[in-house]
Amino acid sequence: MVRDHPIETMRPGDVYFHNDVYLSEGGIGHLPDLCVTAPVFHTERDGAAPRVVAFVQAFGHHDDIGGSVPGSMPSRATSVFEEGLMVPPIKLWDQGVPNEAALTIMTRNSRTPESLAADLDAECAACVMGARRMAELFDRYGRETVEACFEAIIERTTQTFRREVIAKIPPGRYVWEDYAEHDGVDPPRLHTQRIAVTRTDDDAAPPDLIIDFAGTSPQARGPINHSGDHADGAFLKKWLAPILRNLADTPERMAELDVNEGVVPLIEMRFPPPGTLLTPEFPAPTNARTFVILRLLGVLAGALAKAVDGRMPADQETIRYTGVYGHDADGRRYLMREVLGGGSGGRYYADGEDTVHVVPDSRNLPTEFSESRFPFVVERLGLAVDSGGPGLFRGGLGYHKHIRMLRDAHFMSIADRSILSCWGVRGGRAGRPFSVTIDPGGPNERHVDALADAEPVAAGETIRIRTTGGGGWGDPLQRPYDAVLRDLRWGKVSIEGARADYGVVATGPPDDPVIDQAASAALRAHVASRRGDEPFFDRGPGYPRLAQGRGVPDVDWL
Amino acid sequence: MPPAIRVGIDTGGTFTDVVAVDERTGRLVTTKTPSTPADPAQGFMTGLHRILDRIGAGADDVEAISHGTTVATNRLLEGKIDDLGFITTEGYEHILEIARQSVPDGYGNSYFWVKPPRIVPADRVRTVGGRLAFDGSEIRPFDEDDAVAAARFFRDRGISAIGVCFLHAYADPRHEQRMRDVLAREHPSASVSISSQVLREYREYERSVTTLVDAAVKPAIATYVRGIRDRLAGVTSGESVAFYVMKSNGGVLSADEVVDQPISTVLSGPAAGALGAAVIADAAGFDRVLTLDGGGTSTDVTVVLDGKPALTTEGSVGAYPSKIPMIDVVTVGSGGGSIAWISPERTLKVGPRSAGADPGPMCYGTGGREPTVTDAHVLLGRLPPGLLGGAITLDVAAVARIFDDLQAEAGAVLAREGFDTAQQRFVRTADLRYVGQAFEVRVDVPAGPLTPAATNAVAAAFHDEHRTLYGYDFRNDQRQPVEWVNLRVTGVGPIRRPEIAEIAPGGGAEASSLRPVYFDAWTDTAVFDRAALGAGDVVPGPAVIEEFGSTLPLYPGFQAVVDRFGNLIITRGPA
Repeated sequence: MVRDHPIETMRPGDVYFHNDVYLSEGGIGHLPDLCVTAPVFHTERDGAAPRVVAFVQAFGHHDDIGGSVPGSMPSRATSVFEEGLMVPPIKLWDQGVPNEAALTIMTRNSRTPESLAADLDAECAACVMGARRMAELFDRYGRETVEACFEAIIERTTQTFRREVIAKIPPGRYVWEDYAEHDGVDPPRLHTQRIAVTRTDDDAAPPDLIIDFAGTSPQARGPINHSGDHADGAFLKKWLAPILRNLADTPERMAELDVNEGVVPLIEMRFPPPGTLLTPEFPAPTNARTFVILRLLGVLAGALAKAVDGRMPADQETIRYTGVYGHDADGRRYLMREVLGGGSGGRYYADGEDTVHVVPDSRNLPTEFSESRFPFVVERLGLAVDSGGPGLFRGGLGYHKHIRMLRDAHFMSIADRSILSCWGVRGGRAGRPFSVTIDPGGPNERHVDALADAEPVAAGETIRIRTTGGGGWGDPLQRPYDAVLRDLRWGKVSIEGARADYGVVATGPPDDPVIDQAASAALRAHVASRRGDEPFFDRGPGYPRLAQGRGVPDVDWL
Repeated sequence: MPPAIRVGIDTGGTFTDVVAVDERTGRLVTTKTPSTPADPAQGFMTGLHRILDRIGAGADDVEAISHGTTVATNRLLEGKIDDLGFITTEGYEHILEIARQSVPDGYGNSYFWVKPPRIVPADRVRTVGGRLAFDGSEIRPFDEDDAVAAARFFRDRGISAIGVCFLHAYADPRHEQRMRDVLAREHPSASVSISSQVLREYREYERSVTTLVDAAVKPAIATYVRGIRDRLAGVTSGESVAFYVMKSNGGVLSADEVVDQPISTVLSGPAAGALGAAVIADAAGFDRVLTLDGGGTSTDVTVVLDGKPALTTEGSVGAYPSKIPMIDVVTVGSGGGSIAWISPERTLKVGPRSAGADPGPMCYGTGGREPTVTDAHVLLGRLPPGLLGGAITLDVAAVARIFDDLQAEAGAVLAREGFDTAQQRFVRTADLRYVGQAFEVRVDVPAGPLTPAATNAVAAAFHDEHRTLYGYDFRNDQRQPVEWVNLRVTGVGPIRRPEIAEIAPGGGAEASSLRPVYFDAWTDTAVFDRAALGAGDVVPGPAVIEEFGSTLPLYPGFQAVVDRFGNLIITRGPA
């Protein structure tokens, strides 16, 4: 922003805007994320002209910014030009006056102009309000005090991460990789994302961690690239540092640790040359960039798990989008799209949680809300039984959502992890992958690809969505019988699942299952006796399919 | 002369506060007594006897008792959860497990977050076939067989507190009412709450939990309220004293009505504090006030504008969201008993852990071993060492009809409470939003017919409020029509508000003693007895003003002026 609009040209009431991935140098990841920036002005007590002392910035993922499909997430895109309207850093409000020309161009290019206008207004108002309040803080306490507080907060983060997080990693080099399965354009294959993390020996001198992405696959033709190699990876460091918090002593403490600029000096990032998934070249498409940027949270977690005897969470899927669109009974165009979460991975202290989402406070849509607005009936919103990865600590469950359409429509989905699973660790097994079936049990039953822009659905047909279960943690044969019994009673594990996944023999109605402990002990002993050496990670049955029959990747062994 | 003492009793986590006012003289006395969490009724009766001693009256002189409590009901809630069952629509048996999928706080917390236990475990949830659409029309008929099976399931397991929430029951309650009838027939000892009666608003998860909180507290509150009523009957000779329980939105309910809608009372303690502060501040001439109710465990903060505390429907009871209208009280885990500790970053932190009433701060000498805020103030000399004592086409006819129906409903309740038609007043509100938004803003709907001018005025109020809250509105933007989502009618049966008595003019503030107190340095500081101050007296800081149950340190550079009601108006510098 400051590169194109030098600070000395900024005036109170100005608001800046961009959504251009490349011209913002990775400041934003894909076009629907509209980013708004408001400078904060402060007048020194000596009466000099007000000057910029801070910025307030927000980005929000908007419904539609144009491009080749409703929702601006074309899974078949091969360039950024198909993904919607690109706006490089511009001044959107000039001293409080909105640039109506720019706004008109944006709304004209959107399929949901009213929503775009209103949501963008809300976003600008939030930043302006934030800037005003921040200015009040500067006025009240003075610039030096506020800036000293900024510095103290950042410095404290550096020290806390060093003391409570990074200190848990033994010095050494740990390598792991994971994959996106499909780029929407080429046939499914392994798109490798590889991290070699080095914990340096010298406690005193930064960086404490070196994260090297060498071995990451070439840029994909489809939209799963993430432009991450700008500003020495400063953005990416802050995207990935939250996963490091899992090394802290307790989940309560993990939640207290803030991630801010203070993590930047702790980490050095080494990127492969331009032209990889993480270093794409303009105009590579990026709308499904979460397949890389958020998958890397899990790659880093896996690499660290090898360093700390598995005391990191098993895998969870991050962001996916599913939805329907068409015309409602009054002939109005509608787009219903939601981010349905899935199960989180098992942890060394707890089972994974069911149907959670990586983005804080992002909520599912109440059925009573969506049915009043869109032409469908949500016949079921439940948990997908047996979807959680088996483990001493089981992975959380994914959703089962059944949407019965009242009018013809199109289904869309931007999802990974439909072939590969969320991995289990330290003996834990993979969870079940994402899947979509239309008209299940009916004459037109069909499976829909996880990357779908416009799958036709007829009125009366039901769309059955199952989201990912989290990976398991630890050996499922060691899961206590009481925990398996509770899962049976709570409908989280079936009688068949208990036998196949946990070596537990149970009978009886779902209300009142009974475990045969003698038979279970015998079954567990039998299963254990047939095991050979096992890798540290379990990726589920999808991996060999994409790996041309290769069994376990080398990096999965300790 | 008829009895004319009115008593208010607020059971908090640490203390039970009691106030009595003699309506004939306006005389007002207060006292406090330690709360008795194991049996809150005990502290209640102790407080009643103590206040009657102080005001020099007998139980027969008491005209009415109003009771507010949060902690007592929270404790009851904690104890009752084991006996709770849930019945919902087929396909939604995991609605409580799923909740709203949201993980609190930060990005990435989903990796380590541990969900708190659900209000009802999944094996105590039953589903029943039958489905309504959003407009209340029937998609599939109510499945009587499922309903009977569910009722018998709970009966056979001895689960007798049951919440029922069916999809779209806010639009039409008939399936829930049939479920209630089946439960009455098959499981007559069950105490049942149905969502269409507890909270007639959309959003199935929040309505389910609100209904379940109601179901959870219902048996215990009934027992508690009846227990107090019986004890009161035991101390009065004639007919029983009128006994009211405060509602979370600031109103009161008779004990009989509380039993039917217990959830409306569960956050009444802080509501009473905020309401009282609003009345006093209004009389003292302040109409925009932040109220601060500092207790032993926590401090409750409320915004009062134009003499009215703000209301919210986004509250929670313990860990559970509750959409019942309540005074918007923000509770901070910081009070006199809050424990000070050192964080791993070596910074001083206070709270949220509290020493409570037992063991209490170290200075109580009752076994407290960790320093609290109170201990710090004692150490600094501030406390005496010995303590305590739009434009969319709106179906105006439908709106008017709904308002009329609601008004009739509220009127019936008021009539049961003894308010005749002439005394009844009604306040109408509506929750509005711009089409496409998922959250609403509440505005008043003026009395009288819903003319176009009236609905436009409501929309205008909505635009104003939206701008106040969010910094923008779409007043003149035809593309952004306004949608009416919820309609509410509050029935008001006016109860007498005690006159606030004026105090005698003072003759100049005189210190009762001097003691060294630490503000920015140790200073010999004048200590005043608040009861000895008169109207117009001025106390310059630094000073300490003591009274029964409270102590005010007055910092250097501030002064306190006593107003005609005895309030202390504190300002920076000499006025």
